[in-house]
Amino acid sequence: MPSKIVSFTLNGRPTEIMVKPLETLQTLLREQLGYTATKAGCRQGGCGSCTVLVNGEPMLSCLLPVEDIEGQEIMTLEGLAQDGELHPLQETFFEKFAIQCGYCTPGMLLVSKALLDHNPQPSREVIVEALTGNYCRCTGYEPIIQAVLETAQRMNGHGK
Amino acid sequence: MTAKVYYQPQSLGEATGLLAEHGPVLLVMAGGTLAMPLINEGISLPEKVMGLRRAGLNYLRRSNGSLVIGATTTLTQMIDQQEIPILQEAAQNVGSWAIRNMGTVGGNLFAPPPAGDFAVALLALDAQIKLVSKSGARTIPLSDFYTGFMTTALVPGELLAEILVPIPKGTTTYLKYGRRHANTPAVVTVAAHVQFEGERVIDARLALNAVGPHPFRAGKAEQALIGTRLDPPTLEAVATIAREESEPFTDAVASEWYRQKMVGIFVRRALEKIAA
Repeated sequence: MPSKIVSFTLNGRPTEIMVKPLETLQTLLREQLGYTATKAGCRQGGCGSCTVLVNGEPMLSCLLPVEDIEGQEIMTLEGLAQDGELHPLQETFFEKFAIQCGYCTPGMLLVSKALLDHNPQPSREVIVEALTGNYCRCTGYEPIIQAVLETAQRMNGHGK
Repeated sequence: MTAKVYYQPQSLGEATGLLAEHGPVLLVMAGGTLAMPLINEGISLPEKVMGLRRAGLNYLRRSNGSLVIGATTTLTQMIDQQEIPILQEAAQNVGSWAIRNMGTVGGNLFAPPPAGDFAVALLALDAQIKLVSKSGARTIPLSDFYTGFMTTALVPGELLAEILVPIPKGTTTYLKYGRRHANTPAVVTVAAHVQFEGERVIDARLALNAVGPHPFRAGKAEQALIGTRLDPPTLEAVATIAREESEPFTDAVASEWYRQKMVGIFVRRALEKIAA
């Protein structure tokens, strides 16, 4: 069967794209659209580095056929900073040295954003649980958890 | 990527029609958390794939004392429902947040051990499953669904459409033991449902996962619980029987020897939670 045209919203922008059967969102983002913040780690749904938000909910773009996101709202890391201003999560990740090699960071940031949108003042335990699908091999997780806690405090319970 | 076509049926009828038309070469997937890793890795090279995300199978409703779960209802939706708390706990024990947003209840029934940690709770609740084909439908107990390692009672042309879970009348418990607290394959998972009359057990269902070719009910251990008061000697005896009934395996998570030891311990702990 020929390729299909799929329409969706990418970081707020209406997007229409032609894809091959079962092409993953990860491949589309990285290879066709040049949105390389979304990483290609394990391609097994195990590492979390390819996490995107679909209608605000974390999903793994390596397991997601583009045809399945017709009409949905997708957010990648490229959409997190607004009007040239870093998102508070990005600022605290930077300040708290929650980034070392940076490979896991896009996934960590997007899951943390989704978490704070759902629960503006999460406990440490809730943060750990939310980030359990995102592997970091550099920082030992602690600075990342601290950065999310700090962001929640700075945003004073006002998510988003 | 070798797929030549990705079908996205808009209804159950359309889905069973496609299955009848294409036969077993049509790979059926829902959330993609089982099928896509194999496709990405080139282990599975299907030419025809059918995705069920839009087939209208994403729903939860109460009917005649049962919770009816559409097969593509996600594990996150099972955490959000409040009708059957043990199913919240079981869903929470599968994968990560993103995996639970994608993975489905129906799909979990096809997950080979040590995966299948949602299905094991459904077994303990004596769930029924509705299998639908172009020519009809049948409902069977989930315990009759599994026939071996990665084999099921599905016949060609049939699709798992619905899971029917009786609202539990007794006490339930769910206990998963893995190498980490979350997002981890099981060493052993235990789900139990026990009904009492006074202090005596009148009905018991004990389901195990990661210690056999598929999630299964430990029937002899269940029998040994009937009529008892769940006193410590009974629990020791039942744990031994459950250990003998299991067929543990060795994988990257745990050895057969270790799983065998842990079956007994976690069966006892699960029943202690019910006795408490």
